[in-house]
Amino acid sequence: MKISESSAKRGNLCFREKEFLRGAACWILVAQLAGLPIASAAGDKFAPPAAPASAASDPVLKAMQNEITRASAELGKTEQPPYYLSYTVYDQDFVVLVGAYGSLLTNTTAQRRFADVNMRVGVPELDNTHGQSRPSGVNSGSLPLGNDADAIARVLWELTDREYKRAVPSLLNVRTNTAVRAEEEDKSPDFSKEKPQTHIGEVEAAAPFERAAWEGEIKRLSGVFRKYPEVYYATVMIQVQRSNSRMVSSEGSAIVSPSASTRLIMEAQTRAEDGMDLLRVETFQAPAASGLPSEAELTGKIEKMAADLSALRKAPVAEPYDGPAVLSGRAAAVFFHEVLGHRLEGHRQRDEEEGQTFTKKIGQEVLPKFLSVIDDPTTHEMAGMKLAGAYDYDNEGEPAQRVEVIKNGVLENFLMSRMPIKNFGQSNGHGRNQPGRMPTGRQGNLIVTSTKTVPEAEMRQKLMDEVKKQGKPYGLYFDDIQGGFTLTTRALPQAFQVLPVLVYKVYADGRPDELVRGVDIVGTPLAALTRILTTGDQPRVFNGVCGAESGQVPVAAVAPSMLFSEMEVQKRAHEHERPPLLPPPGFEDAGAAKDAQTKAEVKP
Amino acid sequence: MKTLHRPSASRACKRLTGIVIAALLAMNAAPSRAATEGAKAAPDAAMVAAHAAAKGDGLLEALLTELDRSKAQLKMDQVQAPYYVEYRVSEVEDIGAEAAYGALRENQHVHVRVLRVVVRIGDYKQDSYFGRGQGESSILPLDNDPIALRHQIWLATDGAYKAAGQALAEKQAAMKQFSVDPNPVDDFAKAPQMIAVEPTASLKIDEAGWKKTLEDVTSLYKQYPDVQSVTASARFSAINEYLVNSEGTVTRSGKTTYSVQLSSSTQAADGMRLSRSPAFMVARLEELPTRDALMGEAKKMLETVVALRQAPIVEEEYRGPVLFAADAADDIVASLIGQNVLGQKPQLGKPNRTTGAFATSYKARVLPSFLSVVDDPTMKDFQGKSLVGSYAVDSEGVKAQAVNAIESGMMANYLIGRVPIRDFSTSNGHGRAGPGSFPGPSLGVLLVKSSEAQAPEVLKKKVIQMVTEQGKAYGYRVETLGPGNSPRLLYRVYAKDGHEELVRGAVFSELDIRAIRNDLIAAGNDPLVSNRAGGAPTTIISPSLLFGELEVKRADTSKDKLPDYPAPPLKK
Repeated sequence: MKISESSAKRGNLCFREKEFLRGAACWILVAQLAGLPIASAAGDKFAPPAAPASAASDPVLKAMQNEITRASAELGKTEQPPYYLSYTVYDQDFVVLVGAYGSLLTNTTAQRRFADVNMRVGVPELDNTHGQSRPSGVNSGSLPLGNDADAIARVLWELTDREYKRAVPSLLNVRTNTAVRAEEEDKSPDFSKEKPQTHIGEVEAAAPFERAAWEGEIKRLSGVFRKYPEVYYATVMIQVQRSNSRMVSSEGSAIVSPSASTRLIMEAQTRAEDGMDLLRVETFQAPAASGLPSEAELTGKIEKMAADLSALRKAPVAEPYDGPAVLSGRAAAVFFHEVLGHRLEGHRQRDEEEGQTFTKKIGQEVLPKFLSVIDDPTTHEMAGMKLAGAYDYDNEGEPAQRVEVIKNGVLENFLMSRMPIKNFGQSNGHGRNQPGRMPTGRQGNLIVTSTKTVPEAEMRQKLMDEVKKQGKPYGLYFDDIQGGFTLTTRALPQAFQVLPVLVYKVYADGRPDELVRGVDIVGTPLAALTRILTTGDQPRVFNGVCGAESGQVPVAAVAPSMLFSEMEVQKRAHEHERPPLLPPPGFEDAGAAKDAQTKAEVKP
Repeated sequence: MKTLHRPSASRACKRLTGIVIAALLAMNAAPSRAATEGAKAAPDAAMVAAHAAAKGDGLLEALLTELDRSKAQLKMDQVQAPYYVEYRVSEVEDIGAEAAYGALRENQHVHVRVLRVVVRIGDYKQDSYFGRGQGESSILPLDNDPIALRHQIWLATDGAYKAAGQALAEKQAAMKQFSVDPNPVDDFAKAPQMIAVEPTASLKIDEAGWKKTLEDVTSLYKQYPDVQSVTASARFSAINEYLVNSEGTVTRSGKTTYSVQLSSSTQAADGMRLSRSPAFMVARLEELPTRDALMGEAKKMLETVVALRQAPIVEEEYRGPVLFAADAADDIVASLIGQNVLGQKPQLGKPNRTTGAFATSYKARVLPSFLSVVDDPTMKDFQGKSLVGSYAVDSEGVKAQAVNAIESGMMANYLIGRVPIRDFSTSNGHGRAGPGSFPGPSLGVLLVKSSEAQAPEVLKKKVIQMVTEQGKAYGYRVETLGPGNSPRLLYRVYAKDGHEELVRGAVFSELDIRAIRNDLIAAGNDPLVSNRAGGAPTTIISPSLLFGELEVKRADTSKDKLPDYPAPPLKK
């Protein structure tokens, strides 16, 4: 993290927004769509972006290659020639439909193309991207949408020239700073040497998106929430995206990676009488809309969400607690992503503002012996689910690799981009970024495996045993989770927070489990990791979007459920605004709620 | 800090909300007709009339249903019930496209309904319209399903009422810092019920044709190797505005605006950045330049950009006559007069009448006596040209009125909406708002008139005569301005033979309200319509203006480095 304070604020904001959803969220949501440089095609056709099978027949790739060759040659004649230059062109076509209470709030088709120009001047040992100057390594802008080679070359030239004018002064700053500052502890170069890669990805064949049918389905699904007067904020969104990224570099790499993804996100919210906002989110991911669950299954999920919210509204607020707890597989997966995964990202091991929890622990035991952790972007599916963090090549054009970061509890490796660190001089295919940002080592699919397992069904019993052993009245069972965040810098306490949604008290005396609300898991990473006693035997997947210095990237985390000897929870901060004063439309009369189902029917 | 969460729609940051609001603000609207009825009906009769007027429009009906419910039932312990509730919906249909170097780069369609809810607690004298009490915005469904519509209206109203309760308390606390104003100005003006349900507007655009035109126009870069950047964009909007309030007002109006902007920039050999960005905005599609006309305009633009590269720099300061052509004068009028005739209520505790520079100029001279300024939104056309600032009913449901803002140089009236200012207690139909934002005093169609109008050629002769008398070699004539009233096309007018020479790198110094009051010596008979985008679109109509004395000096801008390597050679 570059500026700990501001990044901390950003994190807080993301967290707080969950709390402040209200009606504003649908506004934000449309804003999100409209804020993009949207280009939409008239009509309903939604064809994948052209990703021709070979470089020779791809006019965009050819224009990029010609222009990068020319730019390298021309800038090669200057006093300070770049030693590395790359162009990445991202094509994104998408359809977004958002429904609420039986109507569409948003219905957008968008198409956009933008380019990142990455440039390095100086030498790999010390270049313009060193330390705080890292953002000087990239410049981006939007690119013409078609195949007009002249127009594409012209905009690439503009972007490259502008980038060169940033990179050169930045190198001067870097050299001056390096001269006046104390020597850095990790004297690794700024850029690793790697073999150029050539790869032309295949376009996956997918059924066309049936837009009209989905408009109807989104309306119907969102209309299911009409039955529940307490669910006063709810949306159902589908986002169908086809993208293609083309990358060429002055080292000779040429990589074309088309991809397709469809996400269905259902959100529902209520507010307890004390003002606490309670949220349930369900997401589904598939390469194409045809791979999503059936309407009947989704309707069932919505009914479950509404039932959960209704139960949560009435649930008591949990008291601060420190004792045995079980994290479900998905909760444990998020826990590992935050607590461990972020601290294994390579660049954090050399940034002197970072906490560097694990930097000097290579070869040492950091987890119980029965646990191993890999990050494997090459795995596309696990436990019957597509993994969001899968990719073939990273944003620096390096092939994705399965990396064993922790083997039998012992730390072995870090997640590396092309920014070397002491003793780790090469990329292992984890250099990732959101378009427009500089890549850093990031997680893809973080997978936790265990050799000390019990069947999932016995985990609750194991928890009760531990509760009794410790003489506590109850333990906590964390069922579902909405996300988490962590702080890794030195300037702020090393901490993490995981945001559970469904948490149950499991009583030692055999009383039925009790749902509680308003719980956040807190703690410090090293201590928390050593308290895992045993795990379940079924891996569970959490697909999500992870935000850090290099932007938002899709990730997955996979883990079995875990029993902790000790877990600390705190009360969640929340707003105190009352639930809506008047009953929702359709429930105007107090008695109307009962026969609401007839009123709430959605016309197809 | 790192975060991980599900790809949730609500995650998007507030910043983006800002972007969409900004995007919506940049959209435009145009006029339609309105009729007033039942001006002084009793409240209940008023609502009956309102319902009758809304009949058949699903959106208006849904708004009124929730309005009735909110009016009758909204009440929280220790917070008063609202005395006024208002719903305004802007249905925006927007098509935008941009091309660069002969290729389409962006192309967007937006169709969105934005609701703004205002709930006022207190009374007309003092109410909750303060801070968050100024209303809530929300997105509404695009179809007219009553339950889905009402659900969003209901939620936004609930939020607005709670915010109003807090805002009133905050405002009363804030007022404790100031001594009591013996002559307080009311917070809100009463307005007669207005019922005006007009037809809606929609867009019918030959999109493919326009995309092709933008590509063709920007292809011209191939013929002008000295020009670095060439882009062209088009934006077409239809905005339907729906308004209902608890006083029984129901209005609906539809407006369209069509605009095209060309843009190009380059650097002189010394690195100075030079640019031009002519724009065309109309309320009727047929008034936009044809493809051929646009090609002609683009060529003219590119030629002047090329000419600017060769033009001499204004090195030494000049003090003497400067003639502003009507196109340049429009910008001066907008920034120095337009902004200052608005009756924008100042912050709590501030004693001024308005926030503008004419705040204390009521009945004082602000312009030379030969000039008068009227804002007349009821004017639909001027010399056959459509006016985007025209409207029949404002965003607060008040009938548009012609307001004589400046009479023979004297400040006579401020343009206001329903928020009164000192000496102006009722709206004069100038409360306007962009989609989703709160209304405020705004221009409609601002017209500058001279009682001694002269032909522009006469004004130019006058410049020559004046500089000759002053022993100067030349005077200045400015044709068009860029941002910050900096000259884009500035010419020296030579005394000896009247020939003009294009110059670059100049700014005007002390071009301010003192200059327009004391140094404006003549105006032309060549009024030019300038249609402008904004939260609410406006029109400025101004003739050429001649300043007897104005300072022209060298701009203090840095000379950027030229490109480090040449542009790519053309393939075709």
